[in-house]
Amino acid sequence: MSPGRTGYLFALPVALFLLAGFATPIGIVAWYSLMEPRTFALTAETTLTNYRAAFTEGYGPPFFWSITGAVATTLACALLAWPTAKMLHQLAGRGAAVLTGLIAVPIFVSESVRLFGMSLFLMPGGGILAGSLRALFDVNIGTVLNTKLGVFLGMVYVHFPFMLFPLLLGVALIPQDRRDAARDLGASRWQILREVELPLAMPGLIIGALLTFVLCVGANAEAAILGGQAISVVTRAIEQRFSYAQDWPMGAALTMLVVAVTALVVFPALARIDLNKLIRR
Amino acid sequence: MPRLLRSLWLTLILALLYMPILSVVLASLANTRYMRFPHRTWSVGAYTDTFSQQETLTLHLVSLKVALCVTLFSVILGALGAMAFARYDWRGRSIYQKAVVLPIFFPQPVLGLALLMFYSALGIPPSWKTAIFAHMVWILPIVTLVISIRLFGYDPAQEDAARDLGASRWQVLREVTLPHLAPGLISGGLFAFLLSWSNLPLSIFTTGADTTLPEWLFSRVATNYAPVVSAIAVIGTFASVILGVLVLLGLRLSRARAG
Repeated sequence: MSPGRTGYLFALPVALFLLAGFATPIGIVAWYSLMEPRTFALTAETTLTNYRAAFTEGYGPPFFWSITGAVATTLACALLAWPTAKMLHQLAGRGAAVLTGLIAVPIFVSESVRLFGMSLFLMPGGGILAGSLRALFDVNIGTVLNTKLGVFLGMVYVHFPFMLFPLLLGVALIPQDRRDAARDLGASRWQILREVELPLAMPGLIIGALLTFVLCVGANAEAAILGGQAISVVTRAIEQRFSYAQDWPMGAALTMLVVAVTALVVFPALARIDLNKLIRR
Repeated sequence: MPRLLRSLWLTLILALLYMPILSVVLASLANTRYMRFPHRTWSVGAYTDTFSQQETLTLHLVSLKVALCVTLFSVILGALGAMAFARYDWRGRSIYQKAVVLPIFFPQPVLGLALLMFYSALGIPPSWKTAIFAHMVWILPIVTLVISIRLFGYDPAQEDAARDLGASRWQVLREVTLPHLAPGLISGGLFAFLLSWSNLPLSIFTTGADTTLPEWLFSRVATNYAPVVSAIAVIGTFASVILGVLVLLGLRLSRARAG
């Protein structure tokens, strides 16, 4: 059997699975979004009513907050993860492996546990932070819990590792001699960062930013656990269409708009990356 | 970069990452109705309460069932998928590679909702079984990637050599390909298990009447505080962390022995 044929055969199971589990559901949602509002049948005439409603009936704020939050979180995570990735890379050896492992562990702790912990930490009065400060230094502090800032901090906290690990791969793509050469030629730190390091680490940075942005656009647990009523995110708005309002076509239309936002960001970015190069190392 | 600054920064990052997890542990060590830290009396009462509840066991069992099935199916399919991803060069491979990673770059709650509509359109009532399928849509691509990373370092000429020496197809698979792939399969399986065990956004929409551990925690956390919630969170988390560390250590050991 030729290698070409074998590769095709090996690809088949995963391809079929994703066709059934990923492409088909999105197709069904797309179809649902064209049905009359508050109907459950899939065979009626198609209509664009739901999309019109999506733009005119107050769904703006949830979209605005989800996208703004995602952009802000991505930027904050990138700023925090860049020095961290560089330091971990410089460290090398056993210490770095242990540290990297320690940073990875929280990814595998459920979001609900980590956010619950954060709310316990930030709780006013008897919370871990406020309580300790009062007991130790007799200082009373307020809280960011149930504010937009609290939600933002939670988003940064949950998504930081998703930025860090692709960035670690990216930083590993920068050869040290390239950096030294730039320095010998008189480049400033800022110039080295902009002209040498960032372009070389770009694939990692793009993947990290993409992951963070996409996960944040759909994020709703942060707002639910840390935000109280402070903020309404788009996933929550969609969920309400499905549950309380029993308006599946409207929920489907909103879902498709999120899919569109995601696709607009993901496709151009993915097209620029050679996955083989990034993983092969 | 100055050494001291580096240690300070990395310590700070680690401290911040673990502070919420530590907070849950601290909160679980009292058995009061309201959270008042520092606790006047520390106790493990919440844990004894937790162990005496049937619910604790049920929650862990549902999560375990789902995670084990996800692991098994994802590793089998992922190993095949990784061969196409990294081992063979074939027409359409670059499209396949991008299509495989696509579900990773997709908002999970939105995926969960889409799957819920999909099940309803097909007339399948959601339960822990449909959650397995849902988890796999997100986890299988990750497992495929993890195994692919291992496969990129693989020299297919070894297989030819074995065949020239008279090995059968099955022998080549068992003696050459699988041993090389094994560490990738184990890390892939570990990823699958841990990501499924801790998954919240997909489970919420796709488990129907069954409840996984993260789902239960989410519903309790959003509504009311109780030390039992912290205790269950600690138990569920440490169970998975310990498993992860054990597997990783085992992997280290076996690699050290082989190398």
